[in-house]
Amino acid sequence: MSVARKALEMTRAATEAIVQRAETRYEAHRQEIFRSADRMFAGLMIGQWIFAIGIALVFSPYAWQGKVKTVHMHVWVALVLGAVITSLPVALAWLRPGEPLTRHSIAVGQMLWSALLIHLTGGRIETHFHVFGSLALLAFYRDWPVLVTGTVVVATEHLLRGILWPESVYGIPNPEWWRFLEHAFWVVFCISFLILSCRRSQTDMRVMAERGAELEALSENQWRNSSVVERAAADTRGDR
Amino acid sequence: MTVETSIGDARKGYDRVEVPAPGGGTRSLTRKQFETLPLRERVGFLIEGTAQFFLEGRPILASDAMRV
Repeated sequence: MSVARKALEMTRAATEAIVQRAETRYEAHRQEIFRSADRMFAGLMIGQWIFAIGIALVFSPYAWQGKVKTVHMHVWVALVLGAVITSLPVALAWLRPGEPLTRHSIAVGQMLWSALLIHLTGGRIETHFHVFGSLALLAFYRDWPVLVTGTVVVATEHLLRGILWPESVYGIPNPEWWRFLEHAFWVVFCISFLILSCRRSQTDMRVMAERGAELEALSENQWRNSSVVERAAADTRGDR
Repeated sequence: MTVETSIGDARKGYDRVEVPAPGGGTRSLTRKQFETLPLRERVGFLIEGTAQFFLEGRPILASDAMRV
């Protein structure tokens, strides 16, 4: 094999190794962000569950059926439905952290938590702020499709509940039919900017990984151009 | 006292780069054009040392170009 051919093959091999390491670094960084957000949401979901039970106990602890005092349905809804909404996302965050299924399940669960809290507070408009807060928290994933999942869930839930049980979502019995569209508009307005931010973050992460690769390539070039004595000294120092 | 160096202005990096053209010769790229080349291609140029970086028309070392 000629020297030139051997040098070319060495360059190709070094290039592949450096590009591969850059890709590995990028993926590792993404996984770290996904797993960290999964853990955060697992804690948040449990916190929301406790909070919802607290709300139900404070605002509507009992109901009366004739002279019989019973625990209000809201308490059971908070307890049981809260457990149902919380269990799958928390289990996935625990068992399959960093996977797409986990973060999309969390997006669905988080939006259902908004719905449940809105219901428990009798459709208070202030509780709708939970939707926007949740979308901002979902942006921690820096993965814009998660925001789309959350938006679809909250829009569908508002539409269906607006038709079937408008008091529970808007606090009034006869809202305009298009009220859900107004809410959906503000959600879309919010996520438009969050999606831009997620995409920019992804680009920045990619650039960081590629900068590392370029510096590695420079180091490789300097090593190749160094003399045998310099290489031996570098090896002794443990530079390579 | 001002000290003249040949390493260029490390705060600016580079604004132009010349790389080998596929058909022979060289092609001149802006920084943005170079940064949008596939990573594999950029890494290849840097390993081979065939990319010549410039700042305000003056050639600079690749190591200085890559600082910013």
